[in-house]
Amino acid sequence: MQERVQKDHVARRSSELGASSRENLRFVVTDRRFYSILFAAAGLLSLLPLGLGVYHLHVMIVSLFYVMMASSWNLLAGYTGQVSFAHAAFAGIGAYTSGILAVKFGVNPWLGVMLGTVLAGLFGLGMGVLCLRMGGIYLSLTTLGFSEILRIIITNEYEITRGTMGLQVPGLVAEYSKVAYFYIMLGGTMVTLMVLYKLIYSNIGLNFRAVQNDERAAASLGVDVVRMRVLAFTVSSALAGMAGALFGHYLLLITPEIPSLSQQFLILSMTVIGGMGSFLGPIVGAFSLEIFAEYIRAYGEYHVLVFGLVALVVARLAPKGLMGIAEPYLQDRFKPARTAAAASG
Amino acid sequence: MFAMAAMNGLVIGAIYALAALGVSLVVGIMNVINFAHGELYILAGYFSYLFAGVLGLNFVLAMILAVALVFLLGVLIEYLLIRPTYGNDMYSLILTFILSIVLQNAYLLIFGPYPNKPPNWVGGSTEFFGSFFYGNQRLAALIAGSAVIALVFLIVKKTWFGRIIRATSQDREMAELNGVNTTRLNMLSFGLGCALAAAAGVILSPIFPVTPTAGVPVALTAFVVVVLGGMGSLWGCVIGGLILGLVENLGAAFISTGYKHVFNFVILILVLLTRPAGLFGRREA
Repeated sequence: MQERVQKDHVARRSSELGASSRENLRFVVTDRRFYSILFAAAGLLSLLPLGLGVYHLHVMIVSLFYVMMASSWNLLAGYTGQVSFAHAAFAGIGAYTSGILAVKFGVNPWLGVMLGTVLAGLFGLGMGVLCLRMGGIYLSLTTLGFSEILRIIITNEYEITRGTMGLQVPGLVAEYSKVAYFYIMLGGTMVTLMVLYKLIYSNIGLNFRAVQNDERAAASLGVDVVRMRVLAFTVSSALAGMAGALFGHYLLLITPEIPSLSQQFLILSMTVIGGMGSFLGPIVGAFSLEIFAEYIRAYGEYHVLVFGLVALVVARLAPKGLMGIAEPYLQDRFKPARTAAAASG
Repeated sequence: MFAMAAMNGLVIGAIYALAALGVSLVVGIMNVINFAHGELYILAGYFSYLFAGVLGLNFVLAMILAVALVFLLGVLIEYLLIRPTYGNDMYSLILTFILSIVLQNAYLLIFGPYPNKPPNWVGGSTEFFGSFFYGNQRLAALIAGSAVIALVFLIVKKTWFGRIIRATSQDREMAELNGVNTTRLNMLSFGLGCALAAAAGVILSPIFPVTPTAGVPVALTAFVVVVLGGMGSLWGCVIGGLILGLVENLGAAFISTGYKHVFNFVILILVLLTRPAGLFGRREA
């Protein structure tokens, strides 16, 4: 009897509180589900080189780079509420570290990628610590400043970075082939997504969201706010560094375009359009925008303008992005494994 | 060399102060940073180029028209984009950042990447202390910039509207309780902030021609000035603007031109580390 009352109560509540109950009934992610979906998707993607030509493969490689960048930026902005404008700059740190080591000191590019990742992570750690005491506005300004400093240094230190001419770097594989790079980027993307999954769908992830929702309340419940924010900064910067380093070795030419604000803008609009604070959002955003960009490229260089307008409309009218729009439909498709009622009852 | 660099620093400093006043006003009242500030500055430059250079209007009239149009655009931006994000700083950051890139690309499409420049107000140059000649246009810019800054101070310190601005930036709820229509105030002050960017733009564009991305360094410097001076402090903007203008130009003259803008960011990060409230900031900024 009591159980039934409780069920009724839950049912009534969920119909009353449309949005928040949807939150409770969300498709529950378990480790097994995540890994099987990830590997199935990767398996399907890895069939692509069979059917795609060189150009389309290039588009896929660039998309994967953006998946890595947007997903890791999402960890910062979407899950901890730190809108950093230095994410592209961290990719630049990774790319230039690995590139300069390979060109000047003959370091193996693979080792270079790892060192680039580590260095970007260290810079991220420093940045996270520096920004600790700052609220949203200060953090954004500081990261913007950092990004500009880096761009100016790279442009000016011509002897080391070759400035705007770009630094020619060796490839990751002996024989240049798009197929090989496609698999490398796919691997990088999977590593990124697994690291992010581990962080987001764990106690740490819960803490992240608690910090974002209400920093003081989270702190009062024993969440180490400082550690969470710094951790998110470090991990996401390291992931950006890895993405940048891999991408640099794919392009074979590293230019200040990688750590530029327009790159940062692309990452931001992909995340916003896909859905900030959702795991799938940046992935959907990165693929759809990159592919879309290639289509409009035929009509001229309008893609940045179009993205900007779309991103403005989405951020204004549907702050949860495409994933937020799709959520009600997905709900019907995937019956939740475990409802809130079952969990609490 | 030193006097020349110092003079340049003074002129640029006054313009930075002007641009920063706009940012500071908006931050003080709405706690919103408009990342498209620099693009509105550029827009005013383009407007005055169109009106004075292409249509051949009188340059004063062209400037007034340009500032008025940017003011209206600012009001529109506040109404369409900023108002729905009240209470969520993150989205206003993201929206104005996107807006800045949209505007940059729109300018690129409309005006092309070439520098455009409205006609000079005055020609010739004046000799200083028998040691160097200084362009009259730059002197006129310094005078015009100082005049606008004085006008802003007059409005904020002496008028009824200024009292409302000060009250709201001190305590929003209290101001509301005393009958201030803060929604309308937000709209007006956002427009005013944009108009100040525009004023800086029309004054500086005859000296530094406008290109689609020329607003970025100006806006970034204005942000640094605001942080340096303390968010929401008007005197902080003036002093901070002058300091940055001087540091930038003396640094460019004696250390390195390429690193001109790096000095500003080094200052920014040092200030944030040592005195996050800025030189003149209130606690709890």
